Amino acid sequence: MIQHVYVLLFFLIISIVLSALFYGSLLKTIKALRRLWYVFIVMVIIQSIFNRAGSPLFSVWGFTVLTDAGLIKGSEFLLRISVIIFSASIAASSDHREVVQGLVQLKIPYEIAFMVSVGIRFLPLLRSEFVDVMTAIQLRGVDIEKIPFKKRLKIYSYIFTPIMAGAIKKARDLSTAMEARAFRAYPERTSYLVLKLVPKDYIVMVITLVFTAAVFILYYVFGFPGRIL
Amino acid sequence: MQLAFLEADKVSFAYDGMDEVISGLDLSIGGRGFTAIMGPNGSGKTTIGKLMMGILKPSSGRVFIDGDDTRTLSLGQAGSKIGYLFQNPQFQIFSQNVMDELVFIPRLKGGDESSLKRKAIRLIRLLHLEDKKDMPVFNLSYGEKQRLAIAGILACGPRYLILDEPTTGLDMVRKDMLISILKKLLDEGMGMTVITHDRRFVNNFSGRLLNMREGRIAETVI
Repeated sequence: MIQHVYVLLFFLIISIVLSALFYGSLLKTIKALRRLWYVFIVMVIIQSIFNRAGSPLFSVWGFTVLTDAGLIKGSEFLLRISVIIFSASIAASSDHREVVQGLVQLKIPYEIAFMVSVGIRFLPLLRSEFVDVMTAIQLRGVDIEKIPFKKRLKIYSYIFTPIMAGAIKKARDLSTAMEARAFRAYPERTSYLVLKLVPKDYIVMVITLVFTAAVFILYYVFGFPGRIL
Repeated sequence: MQLAFLEADKVSFAYDGMDEVISGLDLSIGGRGFTAIMGPNGSGKTTIGKLMMGILKPSSGRVFIDGDDTRTLSLGQAGSKIGYLFQNPQFQIFSQNVMDELVFIPRLKGGDESSLKRKAIRLIRLLHLEDKKDMPVFNLSYGEKQRLAIAGILACGPRYLILDEPTTGLDMVRKDMLISILKKLLDEGMGMTVITHDRRFVNNFSGRLLNMREGRIAETVI
């Protein structure tokens, strides 16, 4: 079972190396990952409690809360998430305009490419709005950590009103602004930005293909023990 | 050492990866009366308001609210002493109708339902929202939303208010209405700090005027 962790660790190292070579902001990604430690602990405990495999490492009044299998499964989960985050950090090195142009050059309709870009930009906005609303409601003298769970749920139900109202207003304003700038006025679009594939892009593509193929070959041809990814 | 209600002691602050907006600021504001913080855009007015409220924590130095260091104070604890009005009232309105907006937080804190409603009706009158009492909040104008946000803050019983750019987007009539509301609150003994760049608005009050220039403050009396 531990071999899974080794394989995932190997893929994580590859993702880190690629991210360091082609993205350059390794520290930022590691900082983001540091926030995941509590997810790891929760996963380990959940796996230990609900996955009956493995031998107990820690019990409370006869109830097992930590097993070696839980620890391994939790580590696998953390490694998997880390591989995804480091791989995605390469995509995050492009600004939203480049993402749209990339999709357009891949012959994806401009409307869909634009929607992807709006979606990417919208998420951090939504997050900051959520933080602002949470701050505003706490500033009404609500100690969110200290109030009972049932009342806390009630508070959460209230914060969706301003968030949804804000999101709808933003979407409406954006569509008005797009119409005002004659979005889709002409079927053919030209762009001042034309992306060209550079050697770095080919390297990332080749490495991605090679490793994806390697996983499939290991899994299907050599029947590598158990599930890998 | 006797601390004022709001006290900043050699406070400096910089947003992530940026130069200091506030440097070595010392400030004492009493719990009563009117204080205005003025200054050009980007001078750090809003940052001071957020530091005084504990929303932002100083990079160095300390801020005290009623003797408590904001580094150890939760937002809820700060909010029970000071009401803070953000520039945008949109995300400070949580309910679907006006009446509910004024009672839902006091109700969560526990309290007699009839006295909550009485207080809400008094606030509705004070903030001139009588004819909007049962209206969905989405149908309110910008000025009405702002007055509702102030009413919502007052419903939670703070003894001090910090208002960030309360006159933005208001016409002369709504501005006069806001002035008369704030004067009433001052007469009732509430203290307030208004962050603004609207000198005409500030001239309607008497108190302290703090002028921000490059992260530092020059004080005059109005």
